[in-house]
Amino acid sequence: MSQMSRWIAAAMVLAAVAPAAADEAVRFDENETAMILRHGPWPQPPVRDPSNRVSGNPAAIALGRALFFERRLSPGGVVSCAHCHAASRSWTDARAQAAGIGELVRNTPSLWNVGRNRWFGWDGGSDSLWSFAIRPILHPAEMGADAGHVALSLRADRQLACLYEGAFGLPGNRSPANDERVLVNAAKALAAYVETFVSGRTPFDDFRDALERGDAASAARYPLEAQRGLKIFAGRGNCAMCHFGPNFSNGEFHDTGIPFFVKGGVDPGRHAGIQRLGADRFNLLGNYNDDRSGDSATKTRHVDAQHRNFGEFKTPSLRNVELSAPYMHNGRFATLREVVLHYSEIRADRLHSDGEALLKPLKLSPREADDLVAFLRSLTDPQAEQTALALSGIPNRCAGSTSR
Amino acid sequence: MLRLLLALAAGAPLVARACEPPAGFSMRADSERYAVFFRADPRVISVGNYFSVEAVACAKAGGTAPEGLKVDAQMPAHRHGMNSRATVERAAPGRFLARGLMFHMPGTWQIVFDVQRAGETERATRDLAIK
Ligand code: HEC
Ligand code: HEC
Repeated sequence: MSQMSRWIAAAMVLAAVAPAAADEAVRFDENETAMILRHGPWPQPPVRDPSNRVSGNPAAIALGRALFFERRLSPGGVVSCAHCHAASRSWTDARAQAAGIGELVRNTPSLWNVGRNRWFGWDGGSDSLWSFAIRPILHPAEMGADAGHVALSLRADRQLACLYEGAFGLPGNRSPANDERVLVNAAKALAAYVETFVSGRTPFDDFRDALERGDAASAARYPLEAQRGLKIFAGRGNCAMCHFGPNFSNGEFHDTGIPFFVKGGVDPGRHAGIQRLGADRFNLLGNYNDDRSGDSATKTRHVDAQHRNFGEFKTPSLRNVELSAPYMHNGRFATLREVVLHYSEIRADRLHSDGEALLKPLKLSPREADDLVAFLRSLTDPQAEQTALALSGIPNRCAGSTSR
Repeated sequence: MLRLLLALAAGAPLVARACEPPAGFSMRADSERYAVFFRADPRVISVGNYFSVEAVACAKAGGTAPEGLKVDAQMPAHRHGMNSRATVERAAPGRFLARGLMFHMPGTWQIVFDVQRAGETERATRDLAIK
């Protein structure tokens, strides 16, 4: 070997070792870069739900805001949406499993950016935000109300009645059909409000945009450990395949080896979600879909129930994930590090028989696990808490004319 | 020999007419006996967006068009398919419209056409790189 080629060989070894050894800039290959760019830009254009005619309507958003914090929506007057989705806790309750009037078996998800979802609930049992919002109102362990109770509450309170009229007009005489319409309208107003829970930019977004511009100086401001974690996320970890796109979710369902046993049985996840969707009178194939084109119901019309859906749960968004512990559909993990270690040690035999080839034990070193956690923390919007508090401020008194 | 060449030359336009890509159909999948020319609507298939596929299937050797077509897709490297089921409508002889497809991950998807004629099915596939 000549002096020169020996030197080149030594340099190559160094280059191969360097990224893992020292705190040196992380290099992203072409595929990783393309994948990273697909996770932005952020924010995205505001969501408008064609199945909800009051999506984006300020009067409906004002009513939705009042309803979200309204305990009297539940007959005992104790449980509001905010009881479980607290603004001060990133729209969650910090419990492993939720509790309203009774106990539930699932974890309360954060509601940041929830309007971008295709399916709602861990099992995707609802195909619109508004039809999902009906569920906690009626669920006996959550708010335990019925259409009559909701319609009565909206008529009895001057403020609520005024807000309702501003958004939808007068509710009409009391009848089961009218009460149901009022319930659906209330849910559509709640959805219009919840759609405004949009999180802001994060350190990751600044890095992503710098990468797109080829701006190395700005990119270098993103902490190295987050860069190394991002490289695992977009590369060999396969994380980005499921946690894909600007909202870090492909919106679909997967089995990630989380045990689904619950008190007295199993939680069948997506399998039951598809059944629930089909049986739901308020799904997008029903009369309450405001989208006359029918396009919004494409997903519902073509949803395919398959054997593998058993034990599949929805891929959650990872924006602001640091703020919504504990994690997974049943709140099994208390910290992000525990989640990362789960993926590091995942047991292939725990996955469903036709489990995807995407998940294999990553066997992360302790430092790599720290890096991945650092990356997940870089998805936190530093203004999130302030934004949530601003969104939950007391609405102005309703000034509309109450003609009753 | 000359006769054979003449026969081929005479035959060629016939075969070509039987199985030529219609204008605007940029993609093609082949089975042994059939060709499927297809295009997507919207034209560019992107992750997470529903699309439909317009397909024209024909026998390479000429003859009557296939009566039926089934359309599905899978990710061979991940061992999974789509989460939606396409419905197929026959628009004209040999012409089909499949609705309700959606690719929920980036990577290589294989679109699968099952071409049906006279009680037999043949499979034509084509790999698509989805970004
Ligand atoms: C008792 C606690 C509790 C109450 C009260 C409650 N939620 Fe929830 N929320 C949950 C839980 C638990 C889930 C997950 C449900 C599931 O997967 O079955 C959830 C899920 C959701 C989702 C779907 C999120 C996603 O990513 O798919 C939305 C939207 C939502 N809630 C809005 C509301 C609204 C609006 C109200 C008031 C009408 C409300 N919630 C009341 C606990 C609660
Ligand atoms: C095959 C698709 C898939 C892959 C690959 C994947 N995830 Fe997930 N992820 C999911 C699903 C589905 C859940 C919810 C599972 C459940 O609750 O049972 C989840 C949950 C999470 C959560 C908890 C979020 C919350 O709010 O509860 C975090 C954090 C997370 N994943 C990070 C990662 C990281 C980091 C990687 C790569 C090492 C990764 N994921 C790879 C699909 C995936």
